[in-house]
Order: sequence, then C-alpha cells, then structure tokens
Amino acid sequence: MDDSARNITTPPKRRFEIPYKTSKIIWGVIFLMPWMIGFVTLFAWPLFESLRYSFYELTPTAGEITEEFIGFGNYIFAFNEHVTSNSSFQVELINTTVDALINLPVLLIFSLFIAVMLNMKFRGRAVVRAIFFIPVILNSAAVTTALGGGDAIAALLEEQGIEQIFDLEFYLVQTGMTPILIGFIVGLIDRIYAILSLAGVPILLFLASIQSVPKHLYEAAKIEGATGYETFWLITLPNVSPHIVTVTVYALVDTFLTSSVSNIISGELNRQNWGLSSAMAWVYVSTIIGILALLAVLAKSFKIGGSHYEE
Amino acid sequence: MKSNDLMQKWNGYVEQAKENWNDPRNMLVRKKKFQTVAMTILRTVLLFGLCFVILFPTIQQLSMALRAPEDVNNPAVIWIPENWSLMNLRIAAVVLDYGKAAVNTFRLSAISMLLQLASTALAGYAFSRLKFKGSNILFLLVILTIVIPPQALSLAQYFYFRNLDLLGNEASIYLMSGLGMGIRSGIFIYIFRQFFRGLPKELEESAIIDGAGVFRTFWSVMLPNARGALVTVGLFAFVWQWNDAYYVKIFEVSTVEFPLLTMRLINAAEGMYQALFYTGGLDLIGQDVWENPLFLALISNVAALLMMLPLLIMYLFVQKQFVESIERTGIVG
Repeated sequence: MDDSARNITTPPKRRFEIPYKTSKIIWGVIFLMPWMIGFVTLFAWPLFESLRYSFYELTPTAGEITEEFIGFGNYIFAFNEHVTSNSSFQVELINTTVDALINLPVLLIFSLFIAVMLNMKFRGRAVVRAIFFIPVILNSAAVTTALGGGDAIAALLEEQGIEQIFDLEFYLVQTGMTPILIGFIVGLIDRIYAILSLAGVPILLFLASIQSVPKHLYEAAKIEGATGYETFWLITLPNVSPHIVTVTVYALVDTFLTSSVSNIISGELNRQNWGLSSAMAWVYVSTIIGILALLAVLAKSFKIGGSHYEE
Repeated sequence: MKSNDLMQKWNGYVEQAKENWNDPRNMLVRKKKFQTVAMTILRTVLLFGLCFVILFPTIQQLSMALRAPEDVNNPAVIWIPENWSLMNLRIAAVVLDYGKAAVNTFRLSAISMLLQLASTALAGYAFSRLKFKGSNILFLLVILTIVIPPQALSLAQYFYFRNLDLLGNEASIYLMSGLGMGIRSGIFIYIFRQFFRGLPKELEESAIIDGAGVFRTFWSVMLPNARGALVTVGLFAFVWQWNDAYYVKIFEVSTVEFPLLTMRLINAAEGMYQALFYTGGLDLIGQDVWENPLFLALISNVAALLMMLPLLIMYLFVQKQFVESIERTGIVG
C-alpha cells in the first residue's frame, strides 16, 4: 500500500526528460522564431541596405539597377536643393519637428484628461467610450485624400471661386453668424478633430494604465478626505507616469508618420529617386531618435517614468 | 399670547435651520454635492461636445450621400435630403468597383490580422514569460522597429520582394504580417508583453502542477485569459490593414484583378472624372449633373464613406467587447 502511493506521486523517470526550465528556454526561442526571422530579413537587412543606398545614386535601367557612389551627395541635395511644388524637405522637416514638440505636451495632457474623464462613472459611459475610438478607425490617408477631393477637383473648385463646400463653414454661413465667430468655431473644431484622431491610442493606453492603479489607494484617499483634484495629482498621475514614456514614444512616431515629411519621402520613393529617398529617410530617423534621446534625458532629470510600484 | 408662542416656535425652527446650515459637517456635504453637480455638468458638456465633433463629419456625409445628385448645391437642402436617392451611392460603388474591392480588402485584412495576432502574441508571450539570456536586448530591438519609419525600409523590401517575384501579390503583405514586421507589429508585441506580464504567476504554476507543458500552458491557460489583448490587437490590426495605402502601393498589391478599396479610392479622388468615365458611372446621370465640379467632389466623399462603412458596422459589433477589454483587465500591466 505504501508502495502504490509512492508510485502515484513520483512517476517513473523517463530517460530523456527535459527540465521545465530548459524547455521554457527552448519554447521561448521557438515562439520568437518568426519574429527573429522577420527582424533579420525584413528589418535589419533592409535598414542596412537603405543606409548603403543613401550614399549611392540608383538609376533603374532595363532589368538592372546601376549604382554609382556619390558620398554625401544625396544628403546635401536633400538639405540644400530639394524642392516640391510648394515647399521643400528642409522646411517641412523643421516645421514637423517644431510642430511635434509643441503638439506633444498638448496631446499628452489632452489624452490624459479625457482618459481620466472616461474612467469616471456616469450614465452612457460605454457609448461615449465607443464614440471616442471612432477617429482611430476612420483615420486613413486614403479617406483624407478623398475628403480633400483630390488636387484636380480642388483646382476646379478654386477656379469657380468655391473653396470648401463640404464643411461646417458652409452651414454656419447659412445660419447667418458673423464671419469672425464662424472662423473661430471652424478652426477649433478642425484642430480638435485632428488632435482626437491622433489621441485615440494614447487615450486607450492611459485608460488602461489608470485601470491598473490599485483600487485600495483610491479608497484610502477617499477615507482621508482627499478631493478629486488631490486624488488626481497624488495618486493617478504618479501611477500613470511610467506609461507617459510609452505614450510619448507612440505619439511622437505617429505624428512623424502622418507628417508631410513622410509624404515627401514616399513621393520621392514613388518617383524612383531611390538614393535620395533613402537619405531623407535616414535624416528623418536620426531626427526622431534625436528627439527621443532629448526626451529621455529630460524624463530622467525630472524623474518621470520611474515608479515605486513597478516590480 | 398665542401668536407670541407661534413666533417663538418659528424662531426656534429658524435657529435650528441656521445651525444645521452652518454645521461644518453639513457644509462639507453641501460643498461636495455642489462639486459633484458642477463636475457632472462640465463633463457632460465637454464629452457631448467632443462626441458631436467626432460624429459630425460622418453624419454629414451620410446626409450628403442620400440626396439626389441634382441637389448637390441646392441651398435649401441642409440636413434632411429633399429628394431621397441612392444614386450617389450607386455611382460611388461603380467607381470603387465596390463589391470586388470590399471582398478583397476584407480578405487581405482578415488574413493579415490573423497572422499578426499569431506572430505578435507568440513574441509577446516569449518576451514576458519565457525569458532567456539576451531576451531583454531583443526586446530593445522591438522598440527599435516601432521607432524606425517604414520609409527607411520599404525600398530594400521592394527589391527583396521583386527578387522573390512577390510584387503585385498579396502574399507579400502576409509574409510581413506573419513574420511580425507588418503594420506597427512592434506595438502589438509591446501590448501583448505588457498583458501577459500582468497575468498572475499562479496560473502558470497550477498549469505546471497539472502536468501541462510550456506550449499547453500558453495555448489553453494563458491565451484564453488574454482575450482583452486579443480583441484590442485584432481590431487595430484589421483596421490599420484596411486603411493602409502605403504598403499596398509600394508592393503594388492592388491590381485590376485584385482591386483594393484604399487604392481605388485614392485613384478615384485624384481623377474623378476619368474614373467616372472609365467605369461607366457617367451613364447613370445626365450631363448637366456631371459637369458640376461639386458633384465630382460629392462622389469622392461618398466613396470615402463607402470605404469606411464596413469598418463602422464591424465596430458596432466589436465595440462592446473592445471597451470591456480595456475595462476588465487593462492592457498595460
């Protein structure tokens, strides 16, 4: 009887038993395999190649691509000579960088504010939340192009003295408001919509991180008689701050991805100015990394991002 | 005498009411109540206003779409169409090659979503639970894939797929998604990693005690618990693939035989008249209408609406789960 009980608890040893820890590592490598293959073939190699291309002049000839080494020629061209129909790479790069740096704090504060609001309990919260993520879904370059009506249509309309018809302005003019007020309302709504379409994912991330703040902290604060204002500054914000870094990285990358700089690069790519577009892409990459490094230094010196609840 | 008595009684009440009013506890309660009411009003106004801003363009487009083509610049029609008509929708559908393009886009988005889910969930799980030496360094590389814009990569990828003879083939998109390098895969890996990290250790331990291997633990214990992350990532992967015009253009996926909504829409918007001419949309309406540039702009708007409509309908169904998934677990561990 003693023997049978022992048999149940300790099964006979198999000959090739892999310890759990080892098998965890093996499975870890297997799970990462698709990503690692993708990283090497579709990321690291293309990245290296594009760095190389940026020093070459690439011209497509029948079935072949001829490469000619021109050193920093592409970079110099991008900065000094490149122009588009109404702007240039240099101007757009500076504009985008400045815009991103100004908009980033606004975006962060706005999305944190909205996230705190959406986290409160009120009637119809589910509906409001659902509506707030609609801009994320409808945010598409193709739709923007179509709503702008395309260049051809815009030119035609301008010829006839009509600028934008599918606009709030049109309706407001009909209601007989003063032009100044109309301009203000339209400008405000335009900007709010632009911010909202960028803010969708940040709101989502903030909302999720607020949800993960331990509930007992809020209860304790309530018992101590803290006001909503104090609760926000002393509990919500410190707990959310590690995720501010995540949201910042996301928002920054997103702003640049939808900027005119990225449109210029895609345009040059499609015009088969391959070397030039690679050089521009690298300028763009170094700008983003530069800003991120700057923000990292700032975050470190202001001690944002470290949290006493982590780990 | 009697009135004096009443007076006294009345004064007593007033005194008591005053005392009640000035009682610090009541004052606090009053202050709190006032704050709550003010907060509610502020919140309602703000959220309602923002919801209006979000919904306004879509509602407007719907109202535009449902009026008769002749009424494009009829100043009498503002919100409710005077003559209801589906003609605009029909013309836009013809321009977009809607039936075929919608099915193709759906197929591309659905398959790419599944592949993205598979590759990023596996990677995210490995980064959070199956750590080995150097996996943290590998995770830094994931962050790098988020930061580097696709423009820096697509040229080499283009040559790559050209050598593999995958240009003009949807397989190129699938390959990207399946290998975890699709549209913003890095963020999905990040979300999954945070999510799996937040799941309690006891789940894993009890699975081990019950004799489950590593894969079994992942598949039957962890993954069902990760429904929130799966819904979120799935929704984003689907939507971003649906809206994508960049990769689809670079890899020339959209062709005459395999039209995709985004490319059809962009092409149509850039040359609406030609698009109407070649697809036969002009035959559906009279010359006096199609000579009006406003009409061309209107069709371009309606086409955009048609492209977004399936997403909106889908979102109506998924929305509850999506919002709940944030509520219940929190993506950020």
